[in-house]
Amino acid sequence: MAEERDSMSPTKIGFSILWSACWTGMVVKSVFVVLLLTMGLVHFEGRFGLAVVMLLISPVTVFAVPIIMAVFGAHFGEGIGIEILFWLSIPVDIWALGLVGRTFFLERLRKEPPDGLGLAIWWRAALVGAFFLPALWGAVSFVTDNAITASHAMAEIESLRQIFDNGLPIAERIGLELTIWGTISSALLIGLSLIGISIFGQIIRRISENCKPTSENYQGLITRWDLMRVPTDQGLLLGSLAGVGVVMSLVFWTLLPVTTPHPHDCCKKPEVQGEPVFKPAEALNKNAQRLALLTAQVEAMEQQKEKGKGKAEGETAKDSSAKTKP
Amino acid sequence: MDSKRSSPATISDHHPSTMEKLVAFLDERVGLKEMQAKMLNEPIPGGSRWAYVFGSILLFIFAMQVLTGTLLMFYYVPTADHAWASTQFIIHDVDYGWFILGYHFWGSSAMVVCVIAHMSQVFLWGAYKKPRELLWIVGLALLGVVITFGFTGYLLPWDQRAFWATTVGVEILDKTPIIGDFIARFLKGGPTPGQMTLSRFFVLHVMILPAALMALAGLHLFLFRVAAPAGPFTGTVEEIKAKTDYFFPRQIWKDMVGMAFVFCSICALALWEPVVLLDEAAPDPGDYHPEPEWYFLFYFQLLRLKLFAGEFGQFMGAVALPVAFMALLVALPFIDKDPERNIFKRPIALISWIAIMVVIVLFTVASVINREFLD
Repeated sequence: MAEERDSMSPTKIGFSILWSACWTGMVVKSVFVVLLLTMGLVHFEGRFGLAVVMLLISPVTVFAVPIIMAVFGAHFGEGIGIEILFWLSIPVDIWALGLVGRTFFLERLRKEPPDGLGLAIWWRAALVGAFFLPALWGAVSFVTDNAITASHAMAEIESLRQIFDNGLPIAERIGLELTIWGTISSALLIGLSLIGISIFGQIIRRISENCKPTSENYQGLITRWDLMRVPTDQGLLLGSLAGVGVVMSLVFWTLLPVTTPHPHDCCKKPEVQGEPVFKPAEALNKNAQRLALLTAQVEAMEQQKEKGKGKAEGETAKDSSAKTKP
Repeated sequence: MDSKRSSPATISDHHPSTMEKLVAFLDERVGLKEMQAKMLNEPIPGGSRWAYVFGSILLFIFAMQVLTGTLLMFYYVPTADHAWASTQFIIHDVDYGWFILGYHFWGSSAMVVCVIAHMSQVFLWGAYKKPRELLWIVGLALLGVVITFGFTGYLLPWDQRAFWATTVGVEILDKTPIIGDFIARFLKGGPTPGQMTLSRFFVLHVMILPAALMALAGLHLFLFRVAAPAGPFTGTVEEIKAKTDYFFPRQIWKDMVGMAFVFCSICALALWEPVVLLDEAAPDPGDYHPEPEWYFLFYFQLLRLKLFAGEFGQFMGAVALPVAFMALLVALPFIDKDPERNIFKRPIALISWIAIMVVIVLFTVASVINREFLD
């Protein structure tokens, strides 16, 4: 059993701690993410998934994110919330690595965990990650770009054109190209990730080399690490958690916009002009006035017409008398 | 002093609080304490684990879907001429309506993801083997209910996406021999999707499926308690015995943390990518390329392959393949009778699971690329 513990591979050690620490920290970080999104301080872009992976899942990516953004021009999103999340991630990761690390030392390595284990693991891992992850990013991006170009070329070769009348059908072509470049870039990503996890495992192993072996039996160790995780006063734990939950819920609903913060052009309502209020008495008066005005106009027009007729008759009489004069 | 404190006279002076009285009242009538002991004192071989949280998370997501769905029903009108407008009204005019609808939409996706995660955990842990065969089969029925929930709910906003996804889905069902024609006619209620389709999908979504899910989930839990948890597939007997614990408090604590994380994830998605409707449903797709919800995209892309073209190919892809796959899953505990549960000593199971996951991821990504190509 002791031999098995000593011969545990660095990759296995690294994966055991990193996997658990990621999930332990991510639960706390996800609460911050929701509050920052509610406040509108974070605007993730298309690479949301990648940003989550970089910012939330891994405690070793903390310094790698700004380096990748600066060196490769990668853009994860906008807003001060990303910076806040970056700073909040640091204490959360130290706590998560400490909790998981102490458990791992007691249960799997059967060694006394040193004081300040979380901080000791975190700064070493973050430092290595700051160099290793940008290199991984660059290598995978370069290989993926070239693999995509190569897969496009392979899908257009003549022999395939001969098999199918008009070349490969679209769905098959997309599937083939994706399989080619996806396999290459995934293999590289997995290979480099395993190297990174192995380096992380070697850091843990170096820290554990200076630690004293535990003298307790297995049951005693289990009780010890169990008590690290579940406090004896469970009523207090439940009460404080419920309190935090209530406060967070109140903050969330206070910050949440009442109407959608994402109005879309397609759904804009046409501006409706309010109709004037109908007042019967005023309308009747107005109509009566208008009628009177129109009647007066008509009468004036008729009088003008009659006057014009009289004038014309007079002029005709004058003309005829002039014509009859010798 | 001490003797005075512990005397029976002093003990009898203790006046129970209102809560204690309420608990005693309920306990006397419904056996509350016994029920609590039965529910919480379930031993978990090898102790609590994060891998065991998916079942509780699924119940939590379902409860939230019921809550948000009920809130949406206060404003939603299930008629062909008002469904789209009432959904727009929920998004743009109802207080917090945009968020509730977004939560309900992403909650359905979370449910599918958690069902797949739960099934994967059971498969990899070998927890479907004897004596848990019935538990596995009821779980598969629950998977079917969850998928049907997604399918029926997709039509309700009555936009172009909803209309055409349903049209394609019903056409696929129509290809099933013997019962296909009946199912298609029953769901559509006419030659093309219309008011009858919407009414039928609505009734299925808000009445029949929730009832079916509750009944099956109850049966699933009952069978789980009868068969008892399977426990880890590795570790010595001594290690498993040392770690064995009760359901309360450690597993409940993990379940609660898992629920909080899923809740935060759904909220984040609802905030980041809220629901946006396309144009109102119309018999002319226009520029829109019909496609199903994202978790069916891999299958949709699979059906685009030349292999599944033509009458026979369509039958193979739309009916024979999924039916054969489901039949294999149902028969799995009866085919795989080897008591070995360690996944690393079951290479066929491990390779099969990896292959299925790779196919799902590959064809989903291919479908997204295909969409960009069509656009």
